[in-house]
Amino acid sequence: MSQSPHHKSFTARLRAHKIFGGIKPAVYKADALRSRVMPAPLPGNLVLPLLQHQGQPAMAVVEVGQAVLKYQVLAMGNGPLSVPVHAPTSGVITAIADSAVPGFGAQVQRCIHLQADGLDTAAELQPCLDYRALSHLQLLALIDAAGICGLGGAGFPTAEKLRVSIEQGVELLIINAAECEPYISADESLIRERADRVVSGAEILQSVCLAKRCVIAIEKDKADAIEALSTALQDSSIELLVLNSKFPTGGERQIIQAVTGFEVPRGLLPVDAGILVQNAGTAYAVHNAIVEGKPCISRITTLTGSPLQTPKNFEALIGTPVSFLFEMCGIDKSQHTGTIMGGSLMGIELDSDEVPLIKTTNCLLAKSTGEFPDPAPEQACIRCGYCADVCPARLLPQQLYAFSRSEDLDQLEEHGLADCIECGACAYVCPSHIPLVQYYRASKQAIAERDRQFQTSKQWQSRFQFHQYRLKKETTKALDKKLPGAEKTTANEPAQPFSRDQARDEIAAAVRRVAARHSNRTAPSSAKDKAKDKDRH
Amino acid sequence: MGRIVTSSPMQHGSLDTNRIMLLVVAACLPGVLIGTWFFGYGILINISLAVIAALVLEACLVKIRGREPRLYLADNSALVTAVLFGIAIPPGSQWSLLLMGIAFAIVIGKHAFGGLGQNAFNPAMCGYLFLLLTFPLEMTSWHIPNDAIVAGSSFSPIAWQGFLQALLLTFPFLTSDPSGIQATVDGLAMATPLIEFKMAGPNALRAAQENGLSLFARSSQTGWELVNFGYLLGGLFLLFKRIINWHIPVSILATIVVLSILFYAPGSTSIYGTTYLHLFGSATMIGAFFIATDPVSAATTNKGRLVYGIIIGASIYAIRVWGSYLDSIAIAVLFGNFCAPLLDHFCRPRLYGENRPLPTTENLPRAAAENNEPGS
Amino acid sequence: MYPLIDTIYVQVISGSLVLLLAAHLGLKIWQALLRQRLLQRSLLERINRLLPQTQCGQCGYEGCLPYAREICRGDAINKCPPGGPETIVRLAALMHRPVEPLNPAHGQVKPFAVAVIREAECIGCTKCIQACPVDAIIGGPKLMHTVIEQECTGCDLCVEPCPVDCIDMISRAWGNPVIWLLPSSGVGVRQQLDTAV
Repeated sequence: MSQSPHHKSFTARLRAHKIFGGIKPAVYKADALRSRVMPAPLPGNLVLPLLQHQGQPAMAVVEVGQAVLKYQVLAMGNGPLSVPVHAPTSGVITAIADSAVPGFGAQVQRCIHLQADGLDTAAELQPCLDYRALSHLQLLALIDAAGICGLGGAGFPTAEKLRVSIEQGVELLIINAAECEPYISADESLIRERADRVVSGAEILQSVCLAKRCVIAIEKDKADAIEALSTALQDSSIELLVLNSKFPTGGERQIIQAVTGFEVPRGLLPVDAGILVQNAGTAYAVHNAIVEGKPCISRITTLTGSPLQTPKNFEALIGTPVSFLFEMCGIDKSQHTGTIMGGSLMGIELDSDEVPLIKTTNCLLAKSTGEFPDPAPEQACIRCGYCADVCPARLLPQQLYAFSRSEDLDQLEEHGLADCIECGACAYVCPSHIPLVQYYRASKQAIAERDRQFQTSKQWQSRFQFHQYRLKKETTKALDKKLPGAEKTTANEPAQPFSRDQARDEIAAAVRRVAARHSNRTAPSSAKDKAKDKDRH
Repeated sequence: MGRIVTSSPMQHGSLDTNRIMLLVVAACLPGVLIGTWFFGYGILINISLAVIAALVLEACLVKIRGREPRLYLADNSALVTAVLFGIAIPPGSQWSLLLMGIAFAIVIGKHAFGGLGQNAFNPAMCGYLFLLLTFPLEMTSWHIPNDAIVAGSSFSPIAWQGFLQALLLTFPFLTSDPSGIQATVDGLAMATPLIEFKMAGPNALRAAQENGLSLFARSSQTGWELVNFGYLLGGLFLLFKRIINWHIPVSILATIVVLSILFYAPGSTSIYGTTYLHLFGSATMIGAFFIATDPVSAATTNKGRLVYGIIIGASIYAIRVWGSYLDSIAIAVLFGNFCAPLLDHFCRPRLYGENRPLPTTENLPRAAAENNEPGS
Repeated sequence: MYPLIDTIYVQVISGSLVLLLAAHLGLKIWQALLRQRLLQRSLLERINRLLPQTQCGQCGYEGCLPYAREICRGDAINKCPPGGPETIVRLAALMHRPVEPLNPAHGQVKPFAVAVIREAECIGCTKCIQACPVDAIIGGPKLMHTVIEQECTGCDLCVEPCPVDCIDMISRAWGNPVIWLLPSSGVGVRQQLDTAV
């Protein structure tokens, strides 16, 4: 514990470490892994949300009715936390409108609707045969332009993450191929079949962020993928690290602990500790973007669940409707009871299947009552502490639960609710079937709301105090001035109390003025409006 | 207000409260069966009576509190309370005593606090302590069928005769001659070798060690040893099944071991028993593995559990050798329950990344680095 | 043979162990108490934190802080319409007073709204600027005025002085949409609220 930090160098000890807590749920990846990755057929209509990542929505640069080519930019990045959107196929823009997107509850966002013409005419690409010929900043610009965000599920803009890493300097790049969710096999199938391209992407990422060392971390149970990787890594400086299979090893802070044995200090980001974590799928997308010049228009997604006759990993175009993909897998609609985007442990329950696949969709899981029965009724917490044993953040979920129920937000903060990564391990093991994650999400939301309210009220209070201070100052000033002079009152004398009598005359005058202005105002005002409209365009 | 969205995870592990409680009951079986073999059917009658009473009471109380009884009975927590209570009560106790105790356990010990999960104290031990304080004589008298306590007797206390005797002891109104029944059983067999020892002083201990505490000789003294092994077995089963964590039983037992080693003085006139006697001569094992590990009233953090175990272990030992009560599991566990909330408050684990320094990134040459720091 | 406890070494070792443990626990408790004391704020500040800071003056005082001061001195806790029943419940808990319904003499609970000036009709009289307790209205004499929406507390004070009635109170969604609800609704504060209203 009291070891001097100077003796610590995570670069020196890369081996499989233990993470805190964790569970070993039953794994259901085999079904989808039976077949190879297949390109999904072209759907008739694609819906491309402008916000598929964390941050600001992109800015549409096409118009309704415009014909676009495959790979063409449809929306530009709008600020650093924004990534562009490209056309996954050629066709016509039919609408730019709000429509349903995947998310918690029924979420609606601005989307570009693209009607495919079926020709798939591609714009000209500019592949870069030797990425070493480019500087790391040029590569960064290319990645930025390719519209890549974290494809593991979180969706943080990759270019921004890399930019911060370059600024702060990173020592270690971890390519996260852990994929610990029990149903998701997108990365595993990707690596199994295209390990060379993942490795090439990892090399590009390493040369962009200038990390001294790069490790691909993968879980032990993915034997095929490990074999493919070790072949692909034969003459590469990138290392391969095989981790123990445990959920949630794939979490960013967890994989750092599993690879280096270090914990990212509380309140800091991995990059502060000199570590950058990128998903294997992201590395693949980076390879495509640089070496082949292709922007991020498709991704590998696992389609699985017992209602599907042929579960598989599709390489599907971004914007493909979920229902279309399910039909391609032969869905048995009578069994289908709902859809989860992401895995069974951290995924999002979709409101409908008429939402598009987006860049962060790593899995689409069709539920059936057999596999996902209705949750058992919530029983009393018996404080068994199993949840604390499996919590990767080492929280005390049983205490957080009690405080959540009593809405004791101060205690929740004190017990570190903000450190909860919502992995769901606690709720998975809870013998009383308590939906713990839901309690924490509700409480986090309540804390955010309380903080926001507190900030606002503090702002109002300080403005009120300044207002009073100003009044007082102006009154004394005015008094000083006025003492020798006449009792002249000015219209904007702030200390003057409001009085109806005195105001009446002014009102009468003002109303007359307004009436006069109204009568001869129409023409100039419409001209003004036109000018405004011009400004907007 | 927004709509309620069901949150992840959608998958759930296989263990649930009902099963945990049933497994705890199952783990009691070896101890109970061995106890029956040595002391007759009294324990089984105790347990069945307590279980029936507890379930009926639980159903009524849940109903009174305006909840759905079927859902609440299904958690089997009342079952566990009743089984532990039935084991703790001396066999041959009268039905009225049993009912009073279990009623106190369920009504005051559990539901007065708000039901399962809210009770600050172990309900079974609340009931036991209530009886111990109100009926001290009855609670320390083990009416055991004669056959059970005659060393080397060829008669089995589990024969039909023994069952009848035990039944009549519990329900004395069934016979016209209650005093006759009393005569056929050992009137005042002392509860445990430990108690016997405490009452009679070192000589009895020496005698117990020389004669009694040898395995497989059926008497009230040797029986205890095997009963304790039975509960130890059940406890190890619970540990193996990961129903309980090792922290509480290990720290209780370790504390008792350390204290008894420190204070044991063979040949002197002191009254402190051997380690072996403390571990196997009384209710230590069931206390450490079954009673103190009741999750609701115990400390919930691992560090807290260790301290909780130390508190209980030390209390057990202190009450046994210096206190005026005969056995001390119930008192010690309730004392531990008192401390549990404080322990939970102060023994929180360090969060991920809490008080961690940033790794310094001195760049050792890669190959050299790995050779220089093997496994550091 | 001796009992081990009677040897001096064992006594020293076990004694120091027990002392260390006690000292450790004592230190932890002491630290916790110190921290608690640091966190403890004055009553006035805690009351003021519970008030909505609308500065509307409906309680009869100039602003929220003056009202907080009066509550300290024993004034009623049910004079704040913008805070609504929730504020009353929290104040009651803080002041150990019974929960009372809102005093209707001070106004009704209304949804949060911000002032918006119909700019075409504004005559530039600056009356509203003088009335605004948080200086959220900008504009000069005979010039059009406008409300800075983020700063507006929704206090209504500017509406009455306006001679041409060109200020509307437009209700705004207050805060972010609620996505997650506690599975156990009806406990804690919410339950008290239900009984209070």
